[in-house]
Amino acid sequence: MTLPTFIIKNALRNKRRALLSVSSVAVSLFLLVTLQVALRELTLPVESPGAELRVCARNKVSLTNPLPARQRPIIERIPGVEGVTPFTWFGGQYQNEGAMTFAQFAMDPKETRRVFTDFKLSDAELARFQTGKTAAIIGKITADKYHFKAGDHITLNSTVYPGALEFTIAGIFSGTADDRMMLFHQDYLDDSIGTPGLVGMWWLKVKTADDMPRVIAAINQAFANTAAEVRAESERAFQLGFISMLGNIKTLIASISTVVVFTLVLVTASTMSMAVRERFRELAILKALGFRRRELFVFILAESFGLAAAGALLGIGTAYVAYTFGNISKMTHGIFVSFEVTPRIMGLAALVAAVLGVISAVAPALAVARTSVVDGLKTLD
Amino acid sequence: MALPLKYNFRNVLVRWRATLATILGIALVVAVYVLVQALAVGLEKSAGNTGDPRNVMIVRKGATAESSSQVSLAQFQTIRYWPQVAHDENGAPLISADVITLISQPRIDGRGEANVSVRGLTPLGRQLRPQVKLVAGRWFTPGQREVAVSEKMARRFTGFHVGDTFHTAGNDLTVVGEFDGGNSAFDSEVWMDADEARSLFDRENYSSLLVRVTGPTAAQELLARVESDKRLPLRAEAEVKYYGDQTATALPIRILGNFLATAMSVGAVFAAMNTMYASVGARTREIGTLRVLGFRRRSVLAGFILEGALLAAIGGVLGCLLSLPLDGYSTGTMSFNSFSETVFEFRITPWLATKGMIFSIVVGVIGSLLPALRASRLPVIAALKSV
Repeated sequence: MTLPTFIIKNALRNKRRALLSVSSVAVSLFLLVTLQVALRELTLPVESPGAELRVCARNKVSLTNPLPARQRPIIERIPGVEGVTPFTWFGGQYQNEGAMTFAQFAMDPKETRRVFTDFKLSDAELARFQTGKTAAIIGKITADKYHFKAGDHITLNSTVYPGALEFTIAGIFSGTADDRMMLFHQDYLDDSIGTPGLVGMWWLKVKTADDMPRVIAAINQAFANTAAEVRAESERAFQLGFISMLGNIKTLIASISTVVVFTLVLVTASTMSMAVRERFRELAILKALGFRRRELFVFILAESFGLAAAGALLGIGTAYVAYTFGNISKMTHGIFVSFEVTPRIMGLAALVAAVLGVISAVAPALAVARTSVVDGLKTLD
Repeated sequence: MALPLKYNFRNVLVRWRATLATILGIALVVAVYVLVQALAVGLEKSAGNTGDPRNVMIVRKGATAESSSQVSLAQFQTIRYWPQVAHDENGAPLISADVITLISQPRIDGRGEANVSVRGLTPLGRQLRPQVKLVAGRWFTPGQREVAVSEKMARRFTGFHVGDTFHTAGNDLTVVGEFDGGNSAFDSEVWMDADEARSLFDRENYSSLLVRVTGPTAAQELLARVESDKRLPLRAEAEVKYYGDQTATALPIRILGNFLATAMSVGAVFAAMNTMYASVGARTREIGTLRVLGFRRRSVLAGFILEGALLAAIGGVLGCLLSLPLDGYSTGTMSFNSFSETVFEFRITPWLATKGMIFSIVVGVIGSLLPALRASRLPVIAALKSV
């Protein structure tokens, strides 16, 4: 019998216990990975291609206060600005769902390509979007969910503006960070509510990354001390603002993760020491045969490490498979669009498992090392 | 003959080292479960404390939040003189027209900004919300750029304490008072004069109306009248119901709580199983002896299940005790409904603690079921012979 076979046989001699230990490690690591991914998704703004050149300008009071439409020519004249579009939250509910299931924004279709470089949309679809007054383009995720296709007519009841609007779907886009939203004509919205001359926000694109700070400063400056002061910031900073609004959720998830890890260490360490206590006599025999303390420690360590590793493989693997191939937006009712298990998070979970393997070996190994051969042989169970 | 309870209880105590880890494990699982649910309860409680059964709220048709609703001055004037509206001792109609605006305000811990609800109220607005009490300073004076802030918000945002000023919409506002919203949704608000708010934020219309009605039948009449009047694009709802519908924010927290409880309880069941199997394994001879003494299989089975339940119940009590210090601790997040910071408290109700206990006992029973079966099925002779 070789040493590895000896260790494996030892680990599996109580198959039920081995299975239970591996499973509890697996469940805990699955939970840890899930919480870490959720935390990352909540606190990391979505990285959309082209975001580094985009600027979001909102009313300084808050995002929900509108901006006057007459600001547009002033922004357009700022050197370094390539394109500007209004971006107005419509807050529409589809049919009688009673909740908003996807976001809709009114914008200037002519600026689509100039401001949103990341849209994957055919030229024909874009042309249809730009010419039709009621035309709208919709993200692939939402389109798939409701089986929308080009040419369909849909009606949305706004929670922000009075009444409902009917839209004609001109095309389906993909390739953005959030392929759920719908875009339509600001003109159409204005006409339906009597052109109040207000927009929700301005989204613009600058020519080069070097222009960004200067353009932001210029916009903020241009409307300082007017009735509608503007707060312009990079798209990334804007997205980070949303995370700040989530408040204490981050702390909550982080502390739950800590408790999970702690519980895991506790339970597994106790199981491991149970397994070792059970064969105190056996280890004493090995000692009598001339095995050294160091070698006995390696036996125990290898076994606990092996169990932890098996649990890690199972738990992390399940999480990876479930979140990579499963439909996360369906599972969470649309709270999360993406749920990416990053190598970093898997590494963290594996590290926890490794530390766990070592910690749970230490206490029993010390006990074995301290006990004399005679005492060990005397032990009955 | 049933095994005496004392036997199981002593067993739990005697093998304390082996069982301690399991008890602690279950305790932590229960604590997490109770705390996450306590958040959801706190959110729902805050909404539940807000409505007054005598009040009716009127918003624009289709608006899901007050902040996105609009009620014109003309509509306000119309509804004011309806007979269903109650009057105060001076004969003035008890109706408040409010303006809700969100302002972006820096957090006190320096971690970015968040939206804060500012409510502008007409003079009778405070009278309609008696749960809101002033705790420091004084109320704002109409015509002045003054505000009163909820003391809970004052602890979360900069420039919100009495005597501070903060800048918004091109003006400086002075905080002259702090109020306690009595654990209602008003704990998440800043209050000022309605007309001051309209001029400050350049708003032509009010956001909502709050009406004190003369009685329950008047409430029904008012609801029906608003609904049937084609000239009014408005929707009336009992204030209690309006805030009851605002608890949707608690849903993601409930989902999170249930997910965590499920996943962690599976882990806890494994842990309990392991402990109980080890306990059964170590007591093989003892079980054989019990059987020889005349205890039946089902007594042994019941005994071990009871032991598992007892173990878990101790864990459950410990878990509830662990979570108790956080009861009443206030925290905040963005409400998906109003799009602004909502403060609420961890609320551990007796029912929630009971649910935590039931949860722990279920974990204990499931975890000890298989080991107990094994114990009850041990052949007597083999059990006695085992070392």
